[in-house]
Amino acid sequence: MTTTLHSPPSSLPAPILVAHGVRKTYRTAAASVDALRDVDLDVAAGEFLAVMGPSGSGKTTLLNCLSGLDDIDEGSVVVDGHDIHTLSDGRRTRHRAASMGFIFQAFNLIPVFSAVENVELPLLLAGVSAKRARQRAQESLERLGLGHRLRHRPPELSGGEQQRVTVARAIAGEPQIVWADEPTGNLDTETAATVMELLRDLHRDGLTLILVTHDPAIGASAARRIEVRDGRIVSDDRQD
Amino acid sequence: MLVVAVASLPFVFVVARRPVLRRLALRSIARRPRESSLVVLGSLLGTAIITGSFVVGDTLAASLRQDAVTKLGPIDELVRTSSAEEQDALTARLADLDRRSEAIDGVLPLTTATAAVAVPGPDGQPRRAEPAATVVEVDFGGARSFGGDPSITGIDGDTPRSGRAAVGEDLATELGVAPGDPLTVYAYGAQRELVVDRILAQRGVAGVSERPGSNSLNVFVAPGTLQQLVVEGSGDTVPPSASVAISNRGGVFDAATGTEAVGEEITAALGQVPAGLASVKQDLLDQAEAVGAEFTELFTSIGFFSVLAGVLLLVNIFVMLAQERKPEMGMLRAVGLRRSGLVGSFALEGWCYALVAAGLGAMAGIGLGRVIAGVATDIFSGDEAFDLTFAVDAPSVQNGFAIGFTISVVTVTLTSLWIARINVIRAIRDLPEPPQRPRARSLVGGAVVVTAGALLCATGIPGEEPYATLTGPVLVVSGLGPLLARVANRRLLVSGASIASLAWAVSAFGLLPGAFDGAEIPVFVVQGILLTASAVALVSQNQEAIGALLRRLGGGRSMAVRLGLAYPLARRFRTGMILAMYSLVVFTLVFITVLSNLFSSQIERFTADVAGGFDLQISSNSANPVPAQEVGTTSGVAAVATLADAGAEFATPMTNGEFESWFVTGIDEVFVDEGPTALNDLGRFPDADSAYRAVLADPRLVIVSDFFLQGGGGPPEAALVPGQSITLRDPVSGRVRQLTVAAISESSFANDAAYVSLASLRDLYGPRAVANRLLVATEDGVDPAVLAERLDATYLANGADAESFRTIVAANLSSQTQFFRLMQGYLALGLVVGIAGLGVVMVRAVRERRRQVGVLRALGYEAGAVRRAFMLESAFVAAEGIAIGSALAVATAFQIVANDTFGDDLAFALPWGQLAVLVVATFVVSILATAVPAQQASHVRPAVALRLAD
Repeated sequence: MTTTLHSPPSSLPAPILVAHGVRKTYRTAAASVDALRDVDLDVAAGEFLAVMGPSGSGKTTLLNCLSGLDDIDEGSVVVDGHDIHTLSDGRRTRHRAASMGFIFQAFNLIPVFSAVENVELPLLLAGVSAKRARQRAQESLERLGLGHRLRHRPPELSGGEQQRVTVARAIAGEPQIVWADEPTGNLDTETAATVMELLRDLHRDGLTLILVTHDPAIGASAARRIEVRDGRIVSDDRQD
Repeated sequence: MLVVAVASLPFVFVVARRPVLRRLALRSIARRPRESSLVVLGSLLGTAIITGSFVVGDTLAASLRQDAVTKLGPIDELVRTSSAEEQDALTARLADLDRRSEAIDGVLPLTTATAAVAVPGPDGQPRRAEPAATVVEVDFGGARSFGGDPSITGIDGDTPRSGRAAVGEDLATELGVAPGDPLTVYAYGAQRELVVDRILAQRGVAGVSERPGSNSLNVFVAPGTLQQLVVEGSGDTVPPSASVAISNRGGVFDAATGTEAVGEEITAALGQVPAGLASVKQDLLDQAEAVGAEFTELFTSIGFFSVLAGVLLLVNIFVMLAQERKPEMGMLRAVGLRRSGLVGSFALEGWCYALVAAGLGAMAGIGLGRVIAGVATDIFSGDEAFDLTFAVDAPSVQNGFAIGFTISVVTVTLTSLWIARINVIRAIRDLPEPPQRPRARSLVGGAVVVTAGALLCATGIPGEEPYATLTGPVLVVSGLGPLLARVANRRLLVSGASIASLAWAVSAFGLLPGAFDGAEIPVFVVQGILLTASAVALVSQNQEAIGALLRRLGGGRSMAVRLGLAYPLARRFRTGMILAMYSLVVFTLVFITVLSNLFSSQIERFTADVAGGFDLQISSNSANPVPAQEVGTTSGVAAVATLADAGAEFATPMTNGEFESWFVTGIDEVFVDEGPTALNDLGRFPDADSAYRAVLADPRLVIVSDFFLQGGGGPPEAALVPGQSITLRDPVSGRVRQLTVAAISESSFANDAAYVSLASLRDLYGPRAVANRLLVATEDGVDPAVLAERLDATYLANGADAESFRTIVAANLSSQTQFFRLMQGYLALGLVVGIAGLGVVMVRAVRERRRQVGVLRALGYEAGAVRRAFMLESAFVAAEGIAIGSALAVATAFQIVANDTFGDDLAFALPWGQLAVLVVATFVVSILATAVPAQQASHVRPAVALRLAD
């Protein structure tokens, strides 16, 4: 096992994500907190990266800032050749729709949409025709074993099923990167293992996966692990 | 206020003894100040509307009561007789009674006559004139001491000397005269030049008047002046009116309480002297009370829709609050808070809102009443001007506060009881409630509702009771839903019951006209509620189908359409409540707009109905009537009918044999030849001509209007039918005549009198039956309005008031339209409730969907699309509500026209322009109300929303 900081080895494909000098500070009336401090990170296409660290270390903030969900105070984040924080909100949103998928701990499905409607959402946003979007959403759900739950709404699904719908939604648009923030945090051990197996399968198929977790067992399944403490990346371990 | 105190006791207990619940409630209020403000706004409008209705009643009643001061003062009764000789005998008898009676403190002989009064210009021709002033002869010394309090008599100085006149304030203002100015009085075909001696305040005896409205156009002259005019003049005229005024012991208002006892004493004292007794002050005060109550009821009934919208808003907000706080509520229950504690906390929060809203609403109601009184002043101005004096009685404000408060507290308490029924685990995990299976309790409930409905049908329909007839069948079909829930599809059941209820509520008036004949306004309120409730239930049950259709129309790919429709379709209760609010308010607004247009757009048809074969009418002074023969020879005049209008009293089966004041009109053959008022019930006659000719031939026959002896607005109440017997009494001589109703004429703006033959009237009234109204048919090509002006100028000395029928109808329709406008404005307040409700829902929607908006934004949903989705959501709900309300209103108005409720030939027409403005304005304002929350939603930053949520 080798340890490098901030950059992939030269044998890997060209980086799909390059972050440089990223700083993020949360300011409140009472105090300001440096959530990210001069973070540099390159992620190669097809990598499976686990972001680890204790609670409050800045893992989720890192994910939000790198994916463009949140603004940064300093630095740059280039995803697939686009410096996303220099883009307008509209362009950044469109870029996100076209190239990223998200999996959240709390599932965050739209409760008034059925499973298939939730999954087809990013496809429709990316401009796919309604018919084609529905077909691909169904295929994604069937692939994840939810072919019998297409018309069910989230409150009618179990936690594991909801998370699988979330995974289906994240991959339906065939994004270049999938961001997963504690994807198994709300699941029991057995269901968590199933979901992780699913994610590993997707990675094996070539998906770039960036996963935030505080669970070492989950992190161990990633080929590369970085550890965040006090807003800094303190270690970057790659398992060859 | 006792009700408020009693209703508040449990809440005061919670405040004092349950600190946790108190803290929960108060901090929940402080937590969302903007939403708390909107809740208070929605609730206070209900109180404001109720209080405003009371204040309108107070104002009307006080204004009429004020006439007791300005037009009567110490005068409580008037005893009328027909000649000066009889007046002397009458005065002697009543003076004797005054000496003996403890209840009477004065008698005062008065002689009056209607006359034209003019101010001559430099050329001797009238410069300004009043065609129908009252000339009064009274002894000023006696008048000043009459009743024991000179200050309330308005009489100042000595009795005018010959050639001098004391002019009442109103007439002086009308003519623009001051002391020293010349004045000419025209009566009985003669004239008298006078000099204004002084101006008298419009008060008491100086303001004495029995004419409608608040004005007293009096000129006081020396005793004997009228008799001289009668001697100098000539022709067929009404002699001066001789009467004796009676003052009861007591002040202006409390003296009227002795009217009944005094009346008995007077009747006994009169013996065989032919005289009529009129309890003028008591009648006026009774009328004030009745009119005040009538207007309070009218505005309360109309405003009830808005009050109901406010109740729906409260329920909706509380249910939303409960949904938002569901996990908290679950936790509270988990750590030991009892269900009653949850109810107490929510209800206490609602009690605080209710208390503040009722207080502010009562104050706003006073302002609202003032605005209505201000607008109504214009409506009540006109020939019979009615001075509105703004008045607020403390009990009215207290009642408005108490009713508004009670409605709010009952609403929030019942809602709290409902929403506190939670499953602890599902609440903590924020899981939806599972679909409910039909339970025994709902079966029992359904059976009770069906039974109650059946009972109402069984008693109401045969008994022609409107409320039971209207609601009975609706209850039966509504109760069938829970009963059949186990065996039939819920959507089909509710849809079927809703369609049946809708059909019944729309058509009941036509199917069972007997039950709704003369229906009161609250019946229409119940109908409106049934209609909107049924329609909202129908639409709510079929929202998925409506949504699918709209999605198809909007294109499957439009995410804004998908998302905008998804929430209203999923949150059926919430959407249903907003729909109900909008539907109720829009229903009333559109209905009143359509109704207003039905009347105002048909001026030509109304004119034709009212005018018959004539084009204009000339009313004139009974003391100096316009000569019909002379008018007949005027160029442009084709025919002249002579009519005699006189005050009368009628006793009918409708009045239970009691005499009520109305008018009687004697008609001649020309009136029948040229085309009299249309008849809508011919009785036993084959046509109108036969009916009128029978009246001309038979002095025992009468034709009455369908508004005969009716007051107020709306459709006529239970009216007479041909063949019924009524009694006509001359209020002066007391002579009576039994009459049989030959036919029923259409009500008209110009005359709702009872038609008898001129000969019959003269037989009963003697020389007081004077041809004081002429109907004129013009020659072809003559403009009736121009001819009316010419006749006015020619017969000024006769007090001529000539108007074309078109002008009369137009003026009446204009007043009616203004009144409808006033009601529209009042109803529009309900829109504020509806729009505030939509605003609250959208504000809360943004808050509760913050995380979902964050997810959408993370997935690539642009800010503008988020805004559009929220706007579309409110647009969808507002559009549905507007569509339901408008469709129901148009259907109801059409049904009313089709059933001839307002006459058998009212043509149905829609005011497309006005409706378009109303609908578009409501829609646009609704969208604007949600612009701010929609904008806020679009500004939700995805990472922040997700972080806060996770």
